[in-house]
Amino acid sequence: MQIFDDYKDHADFLTVYVREAHPTDEWQMKSNVKDDVCYAQPRNLSDRLAIANDFTKRFKYPVPFGVDDMNNAANDAYAAWPERLYIIDENGKIAYRGGNGPFKYYPSEVRAWLAARYGEVKHPETKPAETKPEEKKS
Amino acid sequence: MWIGIVLGVLLIAAFVGLSVMAGGPKDAFYMVRYAFPHMHRGNLKPGDGAPDAKLFALNGTDTFHIRERNNGKPLVLVFGSFT
Repeated sequence: MQIFDDYKDHADFLTVYVREAHPTDEWQMKSNVKDDVCYAQPRNLSDRLAIANDFTKRFKYPVPFGVDDMNNAANDAYAAWPERLYIIDENGKIAYRGGNGPFKYYPSEVRAWLAARYGEVKHPETKPAETKPEEKKS
Repeated sequence: MWIGIVLGVLLIAAFVGLSVMAGGPKDAFYMVRYAFPHMHRGNLKPGDGAPDAKLFALNGTDTFHIRERNNGKPLVLVFGSFT
């Protein structure tokens, strides 16, 4: 998560794991099957924790992590499902409220907020790898 | 009778529109059945006090509150799930 790497010295980050968006027993998408992300909607905390752990392990996810209880308190308080971004300022006030994903989920807006405060972090453009012509064998 | 016909046409048009957005009629049905009941705009707005909630660490034993992670720096909250 590039934004985390770029701004972790200036802001804290917390991933809040909520109710599944596309479980196998509800609205599973074709992309879930293609990407081998096939889980039923958790019925208890252990199930939810197991999926969250699979996620962090698969992607070696570096961002601090918390899992919502099965009463979905965090999800409901922030109207977060299926995905959403917020920024809370130093005084505990909502500084940025993102839209509901997937269509209104814009990490670029979080980056813009952080950049306005702490400066933009630029990354050098990566050049495509040069391919050497094959040597002909005589 | 005409009201029924107009309503029926509107419903079909809405379903077709939803099918286009969701990627197919089956996805449109599932969107209505499974997504709409859980998707809420919410009432929070910039300037409001951030709600607190208890979360579990990945070990399933330790718990903490969102507020505990708000310590003198902005806190970026990323809500989501694997699927």
